[in-house]
Amino acid sequence: MSITEKILCTKSHEFLLEDGANFIIGLTDYAIEQLGDIVFVELPEVGAEFSKGETFATIESVKAASEIYMPISGKIVEVNEEITDAPEILNEDCYEKGWLVKIEKTGADAELADLLEYADYKEDLE
Amino acid sequence: MVKQTYLHDKHVALGAKMVDFAGWHMPVQYTSIIEEHKNVRENIGLFDVSHMGEVFVVGKDSVEFLNKIVPQDISKLTDGKAVYCQLPNRQGGLIDDLIIYKLKDQTYLVICNASRVDEDINWMSINQKGYDVHLDNQSHNLSLIAVQGPKAIDLMRKLGYSEDQESFTIIESNLLNIPMYISRTGYTGEDGFELLVINEYAEYLWDKLLEEGKEFNTMPIGLGARDTLRLEAALPLYGNDLDEQTTPIEAGLSWSVPKDKVEEYNGKKVIMEQVENGTTKKLIGIKMLDKSIARHEYEVYYNGEKVGIVTSGGVSPMLNANIAMAYVKNIKEICAGAVVQVMIREKLHDAEVVKRPFVAKRNKVKKEK
Repeated sequence: MSITEKILCTKSHEFLLEDGANFIIGLTDYAIEQLGDIVFVELPEVGAEFSKGETFATIESVKAASEIYMPISGKIVEVNEEITDAPEILNEDCYEKGWLVKIEKTGADAELADLLEYADYKEDLE
Repeated sequence: MVKQTYLHDKHVALGAKMVDFAGWHMPVQYTSIIEEHKNVRENIGLFDVSHMGEVFVVGKDSVEFLNKIVPQDISKLTDGKAVYCQLPNRQGGLIDDLIIYKLKDQTYLVICNASRVDEDINWMSINQKGYDVHLDNQSHNLSLIAVQGPKAIDLMRKLGYSEDQESFTIIESNLLNIPMYISRTGYTGEDGFELLVINEYAEYLWDKLLEEGKEFNTMPIGLGARDTLRLEAALPLYGNDLDEQTTPIEAGLSWSVPKDKVEEYNGKKVIMEQVENGTTKKLIGIKMLDKSIARHEYEVYYNGEKVGIVTSGGVSPMLNANIAMAYVKNIKEICAGAVVQVMIREKLHDAEVVKRPFVAKRNKVKKEK
């Protein structure tokens, strides 16, 4: 099963991937493609809590700064420090190496309901 | 209605990401802004800048008219010479910045920013009264292709260009049997050429430049890299660094304002008063001391006090650092070596004041003979 078959996506182009008891959050390949060269990543502190839809990170491409939103409510348990040192990893591999944060879900399961499967997300883009 | 240049379909076919810019549907990048940027510094980049405005000023009073609307002394231009200048309003604020070329006696070519062509024409028309000149806006009939980079001359030679031009000159010539104006100017800080042709020749010329340019690693370059290139060279962008509230002296463009020009021109009183007594704000260059990126309209602080605002900022692919230009209060201590702060997402980030340009310009070319 390819990774895109396992992720859920938001309309604002974040993805959510189940990882044991936690979830991984990142940006979809479409988002990366639109942003172009990623040159700066600002991630939250471990332990910080955010509600669904809240800004938790900032990604900057050469062109502009973009805010990244929580797909579901959660508490940050790990951040990908490799990408703050080498933001270009996101351009190379946004799903495996270029993930942003791992979270512990703190909201209701219902929050997952309005996330889209990758195929539907892609269809929505067209 | 968004306008398209005659090269629009070429950009789409090349896979460019297209954006709306100043009313035109333009390529922002073809591959990667950083890759395109580096290619211009190392090899050659082709830019479609057909969205820019071309206004011919023709007539007996051309010099007097142009001298009335710009601070530069147009009477000093010899045939084929170009000069960078601004179009001030009566308060010295800038309606646009321009390149004026003297094609021959009583015939001048004015290149305007795409976003300002209408304002420029309007302003020129207002000032035209009493002068025997004709303004001929040819913007929609002409296409402009910039060939920029250290190997631009090699590509031009390969295509049969045999002239010997120094920088900031223009000639009327033929290349590939296409009649054109060839100027040795650009907006990248590199040596290069701008080729002005009637629209019908644009596609053929573009294709030839790309095809024959392969051996020199010629790449098409979008507006994204055009912006990072001009920022490294600290060339102002109208709308970011220049506006109707900013004089050329405040903008750090004193070098383009002669102090001995006798003729009156719009804004002269304010501009010369600032030359004499200084300005309340000044343009500085800064380099971020961490990985953060200062962008347009971010606030600048010095010793805990808000002193100004970033006008242009972004990455410098050549310096591998983030750079910006900002207007700050004209405080003596804010000079090269000083540390200021930029407010980025509610946090202050240190930046060092540095000399402009950020990357040395290599566009000054002398005649070979």
